[in-house]
Amino acid sequence: MKHSRSQTKIHVHTLSCGKVYEHLCDNLDSKLDSEACRRIKAHIKGCKNCSALLDSLKKTVYLYKKYPAPELPEKSRKKLFAVIRLDKSKNRAAR
Amino acid sequence: MCILTMKILPDHHTDAALIAKVKNGDERAFTQLVKKYEQTVWGFAFKLCRDKQKAEESFQDTFINVFRKIDQFDSRSKFSTWLYTIVANNCLMHRRKRKLDGLLESFDEAPDVENSEVQKQLAAWDDSPIETMMNKELRERMDAAIQELPDEYKVVFVLRDLEDRTAEETAKILKLSVPAVKSRLRRSRIFLRHKLHDMMTA
Repeated sequence: MKHSRSQTKIHVHTLSCGKVYEHLCDNLDSKLDSEACRRIKAHIKGCKNCSALLDSLKKTVYLYKKYPAPELPEKSRKKLFAVIRLDKSKNRAAR
Repeated sequence: MCILTMKILPDHHTDAALIAKVKNGDERAFTQLVKKYEQTVWGFAFKLCRDKQKAEESFQDTFINVFRKIDQFDSRSKFSTWLYTIVANNCLMHRRKRKLDGLLESFDEAPDVENSEVQKQLAAWDDSPIETMMNKELRERMDAAIQELPDEYKVVFVLRDLEDRTAEETAKILKLSVPAVKSRLRRSRIFLRHKLHDMMTA
Protein backbone atom coordinates (compact mmCIF):
# COMPACT_ATOMS: atom_id res chain seq x y z
CA MET A 1 0.00 0.00 0.00
CA LYS A 2 1.40 3.36 -0.99
CA HIS A 3 1.23 6.33 1.33
CA SER A 4 0.44 9.81 0.21
CA ARG A 5 2.83 12.63 1.17
CA SER A 6 0.44 13.87 3.90
CA GLN A 7 0.05 10.37 5.40
CA THR A 8 3.84 9.99 5.52
CA LYS A 9 4.12 13.30 7.32
CA ILE A 10 1.63 12.15 9.96
CA HIS A 11 3.63 8.94 10.50
CA VAL A 12 6.85 10.88 10.98
CA HIS A 13 5.30 12.81 13.79
CA THR A 14 3.39 9.96 15.45
CA LEU A 15 6.51 7.86 16.02
CA SER A 16 9.24 8.83 18.44
CA CYS A 17 12.89 8.40 17.45
CA GLY A 18 13.31 6.17 20.50
CA LYS A 19 10.72 3.70 19.19
CA VAL A 20 12.28 3.77 15.74
CA TYR A 21 15.66 3.18 17.30
CA GLU A 22 14.41 0.11 19.14
CA HIS A 23 12.97 -1.32 15.97
CA LEU A 24 16.08 -0.53 13.92
CA CYS A 25 18.36 -2.26 16.34
CA ASP A 26 16.23 -5.38 16.38
CA ASN A 27 15.67 -5.64 12.65
CA LEU A 28 18.45 -3.95 10.70
CA ASP A 29 17.55 -5.54 7.40
CA SER A 30 13.94 -6.25 8.05
CA LYS A 31 11.94 -6.59 4.87
CA LEU A 32 8.68 -7.13 6.70
CA ASP A 33 5.80 -5.32 5.19
CA SER A 34 3.71 -4.86 8.30
CA GLU A 35 1.99 -1.60 9.19
CA ALA A 36 4.63 -1.01 11.88
CA CYS A 37 7.44 -1.46 9.32
CA ARG A 38 5.83 0.92 6.88
CA ARG A 39 5.58 3.53 9.61
CA ILE A 40 9.22 2.99 10.57
CA LYS A 41 10.34 3.33 6.95
CA ALA A 42 8.31 6.50 6.55
CA HIS A 43 9.84 7.94 9.71
CA ILE A 44 13.39 7.15 8.59
CA LYS A 45 12.76 8.75 5.22
CA GLY A 46 11.88 12.01 6.92
CA CYS A 47 14.30 11.90 9.87
CA LYS A 48 17.96 12.68 9.22
CA ASN A 49 19.02 11.41 12.64
CA CYS A 50 17.35 8.01 12.40
CA SER A 51 18.57 7.64 8.83
CA ALA A 52 22.17 8.30 9.95
CA LEU A 53 21.75 5.88 12.84
CA LEU A 54 20.42 3.11 10.59
CA ASP A 55 23.26 3.60 8.13
CA SER A 56 25.94 3.57 10.83
CA LEU A 57 24.48 0.47 12.52
CA LYS A 58 24.45 -1.39 9.22
CA LYS A 59 28.04 -0.34 8.54
CA THR A 60 29.12 -1.44 12.03
CA VAL A 61 27.80 -4.95 11.41
CA TYR A 62 29.23 -5.01 7.88
CA LEU A 63 32.68 -3.98 9.16
CA TYR A 64 32.75 -6.88 11.61
CA LYS A 65 31.50 -9.25 8.93
CA LYS A 66 34.34 -8.15 6.66
CA TYR A 67 37.02 -8.38 9.35
CA PRO A 68 39.56 -10.81 7.92
CA ALA A 69 39.81 -14.05 9.91
CA PRO A 70 43.00 -16.09 9.70
CA GLU A 71 43.02 -19.56 8.12
CA LEU A 72 42.82 -22.59 10.37
CA PRO A 73 46.47 -23.60 10.94
CA GLU A 74 47.29 -27.06 9.56
CA LYS A 75 49.19 -27.92 12.75
CA SER A 76 46.00 -27.38 14.73
CA ARG A 77 44.13 -29.92 12.61
CA LYS A 78 47.01 -32.42 12.94
CA LYS A 79 47.18 -31.90 16.69
CA LEU A 80 43.45 -32.58 17.01
CA PHE A 81 43.66 -35.93 15.23
CA ALA A 82 46.75 -36.87 17.25
CA VAL A 83 44.81 -36.24 20.50
CA ILE A 84 41.80 -38.19 19.20
CA ARG A 85 44.00 -41.17 18.28
CA LEU A 86 45.58 -41.06 21.75
CA ASP A 87 42.13 -40.92 23.30
CA LYS A 88 41.03 -43.97 21.31
CA SER A 89 44.09 -46.01 22.20
CA LYS A 90 43.64 -45.12 25.89
CA ASN A 91 40.03 -46.28 25.71
CA ARG A 92 41.05 -49.56 24.07
CA ALA A 93 43.72 -50.16 26.71
CA ALA A 94 41.22 -49.47 29.49
CA ARG A 95 38.77 -52.11 28.20
CA MET B 1 20.92 -42.87 -6.92
CA CYS B 2 23.12 -42.27 -3.91
CA ILE B 3 24.39 -38.94 -5.18
CA LEU B 4 20.85 -37.83 -5.94
CA THR B 5 19.68 -38.81 -2.47
CA MET B 6 22.59 -36.90 -0.91
CA LYS B 7 21.65 -33.80 -2.85
CA ILE B 8 17.99 -33.77 -1.88
CA LEU B 9 18.41 -34.70 1.74
CA PRO B 10 18.46 -31.78 4.16
CA ASP B 11 21.74 -31.18 5.93
CA HIS B 12 20.65 -32.61 9.28
CA HIS B 13 19.88 -35.95 7.58
CA THR B 14 23.41 -36.27 6.20
CA ASP B 15 24.76 -35.19 9.60
CA ALA B 16 22.60 -37.79 11.31
CA ALA B 17 24.04 -40.53 9.10
CA LEU B 18 27.61 -39.40 9.84
CA ILE B 19 26.94 -39.10 13.57
CA ALA B 20 25.40 -42.57 13.69
CA LYS B 21 28.64 -43.91 12.19
CA VAL B 22 30.78 -41.92 14.65
CA LYS B 23 28.72 -43.36 17.51
CA ASN B 24 29.64 -46.80 16.19
CA GLY B 25 33.33 -45.93 16.35
CA ASP B 26 33.85 -45.08 12.66
CA GLU B 27 36.99 -42.90 12.64
CA ARG B 28 36.60 -41.94 8.97
CA ALA B 29 33.11 -40.58 9.67
CA PHE B 30 34.55 -38.47 12.47
CA THR B 31 37.21 -37.10 10.10
CA GLN B 32 34.44 -36.21 7.62
CA LEU B 33 32.47 -34.50 10.36
CA VAL B 34 35.52 -32.46 11.41
CA LYS B 35 36.26 -31.50 7.80
CA LYS B 36 32.68 -30.39 7.30
CA TYR B 37 32.55 -28.21 10.39
CA GLU B 38 36.16 -27.17 11.05
CA GLN B 39 35.81 -23.76 9.40
CA THR B 40 32.56 -23.09 11.27
CA VAL B 41 34.13 -23.96 14.63
CA TRP B 42 37.41 -22.18 13.89
CA GLY B 43 35.72 -19.05 12.55
CA PHE B 44 33.27 -18.82 15.45
CA ALA B 45 36.01 -19.45 18.03
CA PHE B 46 38.25 -16.78 16.48
CA LYS B 47 35.46 -14.22 16.33
CA LEU B 48 34.72 -14.83 20.00
CA CYS B 49 38.28 -14.99 21.32
CA ARG B 50 39.88 -12.48 18.85
CA ASP B 51 43.12 -14.34 19.53
CA LYS B 52 44.64 -17.06 17.36
CA GLN B 53 46.10 -19.10 20.19
CA LYS B 54 42.90 -19.09 22.24
CA ALA B 55 40.86 -19.90 19.13
CA GLU B 56 43.14 -22.89 18.51
CA GLU B 57 42.62 -24.11 22.08
CA SER B 58 38.88 -23.72 21.68
CA PHE B 59 38.96 -25.55 18.32
CA GLN B 60 40.77 -28.49 19.93
CA ASP B 61 38.57 -28.57 23.03
CA THR B 62 35.38 -28.41 20.97
CA PHE B 63 36.11 -31.37 18.72
CA ILE B 64 37.56 -33.41 21.59
CA ASN B 65 34.30 -32.75 23.45
CA VAL B 66 32.33 -33.76 20.36
CA PHE B 67 34.32 -36.98 20.08
CA ARG B 68 33.97 -37.84 23.77
CA LYS B 69 30.32 -36.83 24.16
CA ILE B 70 28.85 -37.80 20.79
CA ASP B 71 26.62 -40.37 22.55
CA GLN B 72 24.92 -37.51 24.40
CA PHE B 73 23.93 -35.79 21.15
CA ASP B 74 20.24 -36.10 20.38
CA SER B 75 20.02 -36.63 16.63
CA ARG B 76 16.65 -34.89 16.44
CA SER B 77 18.45 -31.58 17.12
CA LYS B 78 20.62 -29.71 14.64
CA PHE B 79 24.25 -30.74 14.93
CA SER B 80 25.45 -27.18 14.23
CA THR B 81 23.37 -25.87 17.17
CA TRP B 82 25.09 -28.39 19.45
CA LEU B 83 28.51 -27.40 18.07
CA TYR B 84 27.88 -23.69 18.60
CA THR B 85 26.81 -24.46 22.17
CA ILE B 86 30.06 -26.30 22.87
CA VAL B 87 32.25 -23.56 21.36
CA ALA B 88 30.36 -20.82 23.22
CA ASN B 89 30.64 -22.69 26.52
CA ASN B 90 34.35 -23.30 25.94
CA CYS B 91 35.10 -19.67 25.17
CA LEU B 92 32.93 -18.28 27.93
CA MET B 93 34.41 -20.71 30.46
CA HIS B 94 38.00 -19.79 29.53
CA ARG B 95 37.29 -16.11 29.84
CA ARG B 96 35.14 -16.26 32.98
CA LYS B 97 38.18 -17.50 34.84
CA ARG B 98 39.88 -14.20 34.16
CA LYS B 99 37.01 -11.76 34.35
CA LEU B 100 35.04 -10.23 37.12
CA ASP B 101 31.32 -10.97 37.14
CA GLY B 102 30.59 -7.34 37.96
CA LEU B 103 31.20 -6.28 34.38
CA LEU B 104 28.14 -8.13 33.08
CA GLU B 105 25.92 -6.78 35.83
CA SER B 106 26.97 -3.19 35.20
CA PHE B 107 26.30 -3.63 31.46
CA ASP B 108 22.89 -5.19 32.10
CA GLU B 109 21.85 -2.40 34.40
CA ALA B 110 23.31 0.53 32.47
CA PRO B 111 20.73 2.80 30.85
CA ASP B 112 20.45 2.21 27.11
CA VAL B 113 23.02 4.26 25.24
CA GLU B 114 20.40 4.78 22.54
CA ASN B 115 18.42 7.32 24.51
CA SER B 116 21.30 9.74 24.46
CA GLU B 117 22.26 8.75 20.91
CA VAL B 118 18.92 9.51 19.33
CA GLN B 119 18.52 12.79 21.11
CA LYS B 120 21.68 14.38 19.80
CA GLN B 121 22.33 15.28 16.18
CA LEU B 122 24.16 12.33 14.63
CA ALA B 123 26.92 12.89 12.12
CA ALA B 124 26.60 10.67 9.04
CA TRP B 125 29.29 8.03 8.54
CA ASP B 126 31.78 8.18 5.70
CA ASP B 127 30.36 6.83 2.45
CA SER B 128 33.62 5.30 1.17
CA PRO B 129 33.44 1.58 0.44
CA ILE B 130 34.04 -0.36 3.66
CA GLU B 131 36.75 -2.50 2.02
CA THR B 132 38.93 0.56 1.35
CA MET B 133 38.57 1.71 4.97
CA MET B 134 39.69 -1.57 6.54
CA ASN B 135 43.19 -0.60 7.64
CA LYS B 136 45.31 -1.59 10.63
CA GLU B 137 44.12 1.31 12.75
CA LEU B 138 40.46 0.50 12.19
CA ARG B 139 41.02 -3.20 12.85
CA GLU B 140 42.72 -2.36 16.14
CA ARG B 141 39.82 -0.11 17.11
CA MET B 142 37.33 -2.85 16.18
CA ASP B 143 39.26 -5.41 18.23
CA ALA B 144 39.41 -3.10 21.24
CA ALA B 145 35.69 -2.28 20.96
CA ILE B 146 34.48 -5.87 20.77
CA GLN B 147 36.81 -6.91 23.59
CA GLU B 148 35.13 -4.33 25.79
CA LEU B 149 31.78 -6.05 25.38
CA PRO B 150 30.97 -8.50 28.17
CA ASP B 151 31.27 -12.05 26.79
CA GLU B 152 27.56 -12.71 27.26
CA TYR B 153 26.84 -9.81 24.89
CA LYS B 154 29.64 -10.50 22.46
CA VAL B 155 28.52 -14.08 21.91
CA VAL B 156 25.02 -12.84 20.99
CA PHE B 157 26.44 -10.30 18.52
CA VAL B 158 28.70 -12.91 16.91
CA LEU B 159 25.98 -15.54 16.60
CA ARG B 160 23.29 -13.19 15.30
CA ASP B 161 25.20 -10.75 13.13
CA LEU B 162 28.35 -12.58 12.09
CA GLU B 163 27.19 -16.20 12.00
CA ASP B 164 23.67 -15.28 10.83
CA ARG B 165 21.92 -17.51 13.36
CA THR B 166 18.26 -16.67 14.03
CA ALA B 167 17.16 -15.14 17.34
CA GLU B 168 15.45 -18.45 18.18
CA GLU B 169 18.55 -20.57 17.48
CA THR B 170 20.77 -18.12 19.39
CA ALA B 171 18.39 -18.33 22.34
CA LYS B 172 18.58 -22.13 22.19
CA ILE B 173 22.39 -22.17 21.98
CA LEU B 174 22.80 -19.78 24.90
CA LYS B 175 19.79 -20.97 26.91
CA LEU B 176 18.32 -17.46 26.91
CA SER B 177 14.88 -16.13 26.11
CA VAL B 178 14.33 -14.55 22.67
CA PRO B 179 13.66 -11.09 24.23
CA ALA B 180 16.96 -11.39 26.14
CA VAL B 181 18.77 -12.17 22.87
CA LYS B 182 17.16 -9.15 21.21
CA SER B 183 18.00 -6.85 24.08
CA ARG B 184 21.66 -7.97 24.21
CA LEU B 185 21.98 -7.67 20.45
CA ARG B 186 20.57 -4.15 20.51
CA ARG B 187 22.96 -3.04 23.24
CA SER B 188 25.93 -4.72 21.54
CA ARG B 189 25.25 -3.09 18.17
CA ILE B 190 24.84 0.38 19.60
CA PHE B 191 27.89 -0.04 21.85
CA LEU B 192 30.12 -1.06 18.93
CA ARG B 193 28.72 1.67 16.70
CA HIS B 194 29.43 4.20 19.42
CA LYS B 195 33.04 2.98 19.79
CA LEU B 196 33.76 3.30 16.05
CA HIS B 197 31.84 6.53 15.52
CA ASP B 198 34.67 9.09 15.63
CA MET B 199 36.84 7.07 13.23
CA MET B 200 34.03 6.72 10.74
CA THR B 201 33.05 10.36 10.68
CA ALA B 202 36.56 11.90 10.62
